[in-house]
Amino acid sequence: MAILVDKNSKIMVQGITGGAGKFHTKRMLEYGTKIVGGTSPGKGGQEVEGKPVFDTVAECVKGTGADTSVIFLPAQFVKEAAIEAIRAGIKFVVVVPEHIPIHDMLLVRKEAMQYGCTVLGGNTAGIITPGEANLGIMPDIAFKAGRVGTVSRSGSITYYIANTLTDSGYGETTCVGLGGDPILGSTFDEILWMFEQDDKTKAVVMTGEIGGVYEERACDTISKMKTPVIAMVGGIYAPPGKRMGHAGAIVEGKMGTAKEKLDALEAAGAHPAKTFLDIPKILQKMDV
Amino acid sequence: MRLYEFEGKKLFADFKIPVPEGKIATSPAKAEAIAKELNKPLVLKSQVLTGGRGKAGGIKAVENPADAKKIAEDLFKLKIKGYSVEKILIEPKLDIRQEIYLGVTIDRVNYKLVVIASAEGGVDIEETAEKSPEKVTRRSFDIDAALYTFNAIDISKSIGLPSESVKSAASIIINLFKLFKAYDAKLAEINPLVITNDGELIAADSRISLDDDAVFRHPDLAAMGIEKRHEEGEMTSREQQAKEWGIPYLDLDGNIGMFPGGAGFGIMGNDFIHYYGGKPANFMDSGGGPTPERLTKMLVLLDDNPNVKAIFGARFGGISRCDDFAKGVIMFLKDHGLSKPMVCRMTGNMWQEGVRMFAEAKKENPELFKRFEFHGIETPIEEISRRAVELASEAEGGK
Repeated sequence: MAILVDKNSKIMVQGITGGAGKFHTKRMLEYGTKIVGGTSPGKGGQEVEGKPVFDTVAECVKGTGADTSVIFLPAQFVKEAAIEAIRAGIKFVVVVPEHIPIHDMLLVRKEAMQYGCTVLGGNTAGIITPGEANLGIMPDIAFKAGRVGTVSRSGSITYYIANTLTDSGYGETTCVGLGGDPILGSTFDEILWMFEQDDKTKAVVMTGEIGGVYEERACDTISKMKTPVIAMVGGIYAPPGKRMGHAGAIVEGKMGTAKEKLDALEAAGAHPAKTFLDIPKILQKMDV
Repeated sequence: MRLYEFEGKKLFADFKIPVPEGKIATSPAKAEAIAKELNKPLVLKSQVLTGGRGKAGGIKAVENPADAKKIAEDLFKLKIKGYSVEKILIEPKLDIRQEIYLGVTIDRVNYKLVVIASAEGGVDIEETAEKSPEKVTRRSFDIDAALYTFNAIDISKSIGLPSESVKSAASIIINLFKLFKAYDAKLAEINPLVITNDGELIAADSRISLDDDAVFRHPDLAAMGIEKRHEEGEMTSREQQAKEWGIPYLDLDGNIGMFPGGAGFGIMGNDFIHYYGGKPANFMDSGGGPTPERLTKMLVLLDDNPNVKAIFGARFGGISRCDDFAKGVIMFLKDHGLSKPMVCRMTGNMWQEGVRMFAEAKKENPELFKRFEFHGIETPIEEISRRAVELASEAEGGK
């Protein structure tokens, strides 16, 4: 088991004929990811890496049975591409490009909720279930199948943590990159709850970051989880972030510093880690 | 990107939100001319991209238009939180009966737009929201939902506006919401929205922040003279240089130059340095797959910074390969030269090749490498952090 993607996922690529689309389709296939096809309007009938290209997502779903999509398109096209996928019945969409306009992501999130679809990103390095599927731009070098799940915003942190888990023999069930954009398709609490439902995942490492609003929201979920959670938060010593007017403070409350976030996560039952090397030590103590 | 008050008011006027009849002065002489022309009690408002300008003395009332020149001279000399005053907005002074707060922003946790209103506007609105939440109305809307007249009237009534003001307030709420959506705003605030003694509603201030990532959709902004700019904050010369080179960079007050990979570890690597007793001199993000030229520039920023006593480098080769990283560092060593001690670790994609390239280049030219220690996967990043702190403190001690 794993979360969101595994060897049975039928994955399509939106923007498969573009430079990044082509390059990463090849990489993902080399990893053994089950890519079934892709879309590029006006290029239906062509092939990329031996996989069929369609004009629309609906055609791709009909022709290949795709249930998951990875988007490699410039930011300004992401809104329509994601909504097209969601409405065509795709259940999981990974938005790799960065700088997606905020108003666009609000709409994508609303559609996703309405159609029961999960969206990751924008600006995510992707998601990997080691040995089964690698969606996005993560290099496979750090990952090995195992029993700990990870969720973080940044790609570089995901590599470091997976590398630590792999080296210490724990390995990973699934590693999820939420993405670095200010507004994200999925949040920590949602991904943590998926790990909680997964039998194979014996512990989860979550890495938050200064400046986000989603860490605090994870606390309630963590307090309900049986699966232990190890938490790191980047930016403990970073200068305080900028607030956005009075309205920002009224709506989002006082923006938590990284230290406050980590304290809140700990109070909810997460085990705080300072450095990567702390992680295997904590896992060992918990007898994971 | 944040707009100046006068730019925000231009947008307000476009959306039929009443604003005072104001003019911009770029010099004391211009201020004098405008004051003569308006010939009534005035307010001179420094235009800066930061809050708290009232408290900093950046807003002055002028009862006698003849005094405008002298007061403008003083304002142009001001520095408000490090910002110099280059423009002054001159407006007729309003007869204020009541100050209302009105704002639209994004609730990122619940993925909604939120309209906020309070009958007690002004600089203490946040305190009011915290201590007396019942005095602040909030209404959430989906991004694709309309804000109807009945919604706006409900909001106006909920803050206890008198009946004769309800219709004008509702129309301002609707138009502010329209403006927010039309320009991809993150924040649109009128604080205060003034009710004058004559019962008129007028936007006495504006605060608008637009989504940088959506500015491409609004070419009309450039036509209005509103150029793309940073959210807030004055840049140091190094930050300015980094911005020109397209490198996300911030100066901090420590002595260890940080040369990390992506933004995620860029932030966390700074924490690691603190854990081992050091202080970073900067934050930097290489971006995905930096070219050797970009890596060279990143290192130049650090090596030329006199505050930097040692450099910490970390690269987890993802899509960007460690051999490309090594190429960039070697290019820097040859073209610019390293004047500070530096410790660096590579792991991930092609790290062995990176280490091999360093070893080979060192054999060719040991002099270039005399201040440079490089490591591969065998040394944990924690140890590299510790070593960087040690190198910096040795360098400080050796002064």
